Amino acid sequence: MSFYETLYIVDPNLENNALEKIMDEIGKELAKTKSKIINHRIWGKKRLAYQIDRQKYGSYIILQFEGGGNQDKMNEYDIWMRLNNSILRHITVSLKQKPELYVEDNNAGSKDSEESTNQDVSENKEVQTSDSEKEKDSNTKEENTEPKEDE
Amino acid sequence: MAFQNRNRFCYFKENGITEIDYKDVKLLRRFVNDQGKIIPRRVTGSSAKMHRKLVRAIKRSRSIALMPYVERGLE
Repeated sequence: MSFYETLYIVDPNLENNALEKIMDEIGKELAKTKSKIINHRIWGKKRLAYQIDRQKYGSYIILQFEGGGNQDKMNEYDIWMRLNNSILRHITVSLKQKPELYVEDNNAGSKDSEESTNQDVSENKEVQTSDSEKEKDSNTKEENTEPKEDE
Repeated sequence: MAFQNRNRFCYFKENGITEIDYKDVKLLRRFVNDQGKIIPRRVTGSSAKMHRKLVRAIKRSRSIALMPYVERGLE
């Protein structure tokens, strides 16, 4: 059996419920080809390299599955994906190896958290600097006020 | 003589990479100039086999808007 991967872009302005609905629909459509879904997960919201339908951002969704061996049905699935208005763009690629099952905790810890922590750190730094500046200001003010009181 | 001194080696062979994923934009960005054009093999020094795979990956990631077809340098 061969393994495939579909990567598709969905309008980023959709709510999570609507996104899940679309993912469900696509899962059902793929089920018609008798393929087994291995992974179906949100890759993340990314900036598009060029605008598609006047959208600058898109949420990428990865769908990995085992092929059912029915080529006509796969063509129907591809056409259905192309006609679906909520999907901006999609690409189906054959995989050489069986894709590993995606476990949210492990993978989230490796890539996404690094980015998020970096952002957090930078934000924290900004906060700290602003705080320290405030402290300095307050200190100087206190210094200014204290001698006056003494006088 | 100038060619002998030039440091050319296949990036993929050095790092033991055999397959190139079209989703790995960080890697693909190294083999594209600031206009978004694919850098020729004679400059990057990558092997013919890996360059073919690289080109396929870059073209795939262009079609799914992960990488640009054309990037304007100054705007």
